[in-house]
Amino acid sequence: MKKIVGWTAALCLLLAPGLFAADTVKIGLMGPMTGSWASEGQEMKQVVDLLADQYNQQGGVLGRKIEILTEDDGGDPRTASLAANRLATRGIIAVIGTYGSSITEASQNIYDEAAIVQIANGSTAIRLSEKGLKNFFRTCPRDDEQGKVATATIQKLGMKKIAILHDNTSYAKGLAEESRANLKAANVDVVFFDALTPGERDYNAILTKLKAANPDFVFFTGYYPEAGLLLRQKKEMGWDIPFMGGDAVNNPALVETAGAAAAEGFYFLSPPLPKDLDTAEAKSFVDAFTKKYGNVPKSIYPVLAGDGFRVIVEAIKKTESVEAEKLSAYLKSSLKGYPGLTGTLAFDDKGDRVGEVYRVYKVDSQGQFVLEP
Amino acid sequence: MKNANWLGYIVFFALLAATPLLLDRYWVDVLNSVGLYLILALSLNIILGYAGMFHMGHAAFYAIGAYTTAIINTRYGIPVLWALPASGIAASLFALIVARPIIHLRGDYLLIVTIGMVEIVRIALINDVFGMTGGANGIFGISRPEIFGFRITQPIHFFYLIWFFAALTVLLFSLLENSRFGRALKYLKEDEVAAEGSGIHTARYKLAAFVLGAGWAGMCGTLFATKMTIISPESFNFWESVQLFMIVILGGSGSIPGVILGAFLVMGLPELFRDFANARLLIFGLALMVMMIVRPQGLLPARPRKYNLDSIRELS
Amino acid sequence: MGLWSLMEQFFQQLTNGLAVGGIYALIALGYTMVYGVLKLINFAHGDLFTIGAYLGLTLLTSLALNDYVGGFLGLFILAVMVMGLVGIIGILLERTAYRPLRQSPRLSAVVSALGASIFFQNAIMLIYGAKFYVYPQDLLPVVPINIFGLSIPLMRIIILLASVVMMIALYLFVQKTKIGTAIRAAAIDQGAARLMGIDVNFVIMIVFFIGPALGGAAGLMVGVYYGQINFTMGWIYGLKAFTAAILGGIGNIPGAMVGGLLLGVIEALGAAYISIAWKDAIAFFVLILILIVRPTGLLGERVAEKI
Repeated sequence: MKKIVGWTAALCLLLAPGLFAADTVKIGLMGPMTGSWASEGQEMKQVVDLLADQYNQQGGVLGRKIEILTEDDGGDPRTASLAANRLATRGIIAVIGTYGSSITEASQNIYDEAAIVQIANGSTAIRLSEKGLKNFFRTCPRDDEQGKVATATIQKLGMKKIAILHDNTSYAKGLAEESRANLKAANVDVVFFDALTPGERDYNAILTKLKAANPDFVFFTGYYPEAGLLLRQKKEMGWDIPFMGGDAVNNPALVETAGAAAAEGFYFLSPPLPKDLDTAEAKSFVDAFTKKYGNVPKSIYPVLAGDGFRVIVEAIKKTESVEAEKLSAYLKSSLKGYPGLTGTLAFDDKGDRVGEVYRVYKVDSQGQFVLEP
Repeated sequence: MKNANWLGYIVFFALLAATPLLLDRYWVDVLNSVGLYLILALSLNIILGYAGMFHMGHAAFYAIGAYTTAIINTRYGIPVLWALPASGIAASLFALIVARPIIHLRGDYLLIVTIGMVEIVRIALINDVFGMTGGANGIFGISRPEIFGFRITQPIHFFYLIWFFAALTVLLFSLLENSRFGRALKYLKEDEVAAEGSGIHTARYKLAAFVLGAGWAGMCGTLFATKMTIISPESFNFWESVQLFMIVILGGSGSIPGVILGAFLVMGLPELFRDFANARLLIFGLALMVMMIVRPQGLLPARPRKYNLDSIRELS
Repeated sequence: MGLWSLMEQFFQQLTNGLAVGGIYALIALGYTMVYGVLKLINFAHGDLFTIGAYLGLTLLTSLALNDYVGGFLGLFILAVMVMGLVGIIGILLERTAYRPLRQSPRLSAVVSALGASIFFQNAIMLIYGAKFYVYPQDLLPVVPINIFGLSIPLMRIIILLASVVMMIALYLFVQKTKIGTAIRAAAIDQGAARLMGIDVNFVIMIVFFIGPALGGAAGLMVGVYYGQINFTMGWIYGLKAFTAAILGGIGNIPGAMVGGLLLGVIEALGAAYISIAWKDAIAFFVLILILIVRPTGLLGERVAEKI
């Protein structure tokens, strides 16, 4: 008999880990902690952990401490669906993440079916919010938004023959195609459109081919490691032409790789960096982050994850509820002009972030990212 | 086949069928992953384990099956399970075309060619070949399967679908292993020249192994596509092929119980190690090395076939 | 576009390809060395290359080598240190992960190698972190060399020269020295070599020192020339170098050189004249065509292989 009781108890423990630990508010964080994008995922964890600590020092929410449960999605759709299922079974009320549109997509249905609010931080593909999922939000803007800003910027600079280079990832190709369509509609010539292979070191063959197409402006929609190498090798071959990047190049590693001399004059689009916001929230966040980890946040996406975390905590506070339905309703209709780390936050009915988020940055001769007026 | 093996399978699958009652949906989903890779690894086992051809590009066939399903389901609205045979046939046809010129290659040369094949397929998918694969975005909105009006959506539903298919695979491949065809493949693996001398048309048998293994992997692609509802090229990269390769060799090349164990370890251990956070793959790599060193022939190696001499004497 | 500029394009792409191919060749030499003796595809070789790149950076910054002996001499000393350290790691790897499997089925050692690759890659990530690291930029004087209007950075010439020199040195070492003869004997038949009084374990140790050392040197070069390194970079380079080694005929030292350079050139010309996005597919397609015509690679010997 004792044995049976013991086994039943063990079984209960196994089945319902959430039941006995109802004294914390659990929020999930799903991000790439291993694999190629591990640097993004690990910084996401740093940001969210820091913010959670700050809330907990002030007593948490609803009189309970906030507990962050982190899962690794490995930057791979199949692993992401496993990570999502694991989080869904651990009693979380909301999840922050993840980085990469197709990775996010593999997890969307799982969170939706489990009635968990999901706030993605680095998933810009348009279709993610066009499916009518009630509990899906994102703090990053969409590709079509960025495509518009890119076209406007190129027109403002008065460029006539544009080369577009992407890297065949879902994000970069989406942005490239969006921009090409916009540029064509605006009667700007696109003289080159092709993709490099990310993860390589030598892009001289591509640059030589690009140069032969004789553009007067190059728009690279991929990520910072490749952008840095392109700038460095462009300088090395003595080719002087303005380059622009999308928001995935926003990382100091870009300038480190290219060197300040090669990076000077490089334009890129990005949501504003915390250092460029003069709000108190952004300043105190950057200070606290630097104090705890010894450097400023490197990438913008982890900061966007931080914003996702802050709005969900805000929603819990205001609604005094942990029900997905109420939280989503609050985020969509009542949250207006919330002071986020990356500017004011509000969401539309699809869960997309409202408002003009993008700014144009230019790299100066010191390798600093300077906000263009 | 000895009765002990059959009994083992029956007990194993019966016990497994009960596990979802004890597990939460995450662990059920982990088992789904194991099941999918088990089916794939068993189909690879025909090529790599029985016929002994170094094949590290199995994800290519899997991808073709998954994309075939996705295309005919999303474009023509054909229910996914009806797409199962079409996916198998598409993958088999592809194998027939590509394998024909390369099966005479030996050992490591075949290995790199199959790696090349999986890379070419992946790059073709990314570049939206024929305008049908959706490029890097892949294909989304693949419908869920329906059996007699019952829609399969939850991990636990998929558990029974996938493991039914896995059990069927184990059954059929066990029969195949002991058939004339299976024995011919094993002979050809041990000694190609002797096999040829005994009247086995080696090239034809090798090709048949490729086509059969590919077709089965293609059908598994259907299951994957409908489970994920979205497929993209990054799900079919070279690393997936490597994982399948490791399952077969780690478990025991040519041994069905070995492949079952291998699938549990290669797909399950990284999940078990999740509590080690960022170090989970490091420990997994270490575990792989240790297991291989402790059991160089594989964890459950295939036993050599035994013949009862007396009964053979009686026959002659 | 005039004929001259078309020619210029072509030759520029050719030099682009040779620079990339030089690195492939250097890594492929290590693959081929190990394969020649052990018939083992050392999938961890790409990660030893990565380790070389990271060790190079660590030594460079911690010893401040550049402050004492700048330029070529400093780089040369650094290369020797990196090669020695990576070579030692190679020996340790062989001792722990491959030696117990020497009498086992060949593919068992391949899985052990894959395990080692996962282990190394994640170990680097845990030690250094997942971020990209960048080599200091002013290691070598920037001397743009112009030949008939082609811009050829100095570092490319160094990479090519280093690859060729190491290939020739390795070839002479294997062909002319006593240890080299022992290596060749062990490659043909380990049992017979042992009977002839050759210490096969010692031979394998030497091979596992030289192979990884060459990979480490390549890692250092990639760091110095391209600047940017990260923990996953060995996987792509390893795969490409393996392709190169097979293309030239695995186990054959000049073959690795030819295969590496050819692969680099095929990639560059494929990108230039067909499509950048299909570059790797084109390279693999050419590889498959070559193997269909010559089933053991360009310079490989046609010997029946025992599986």
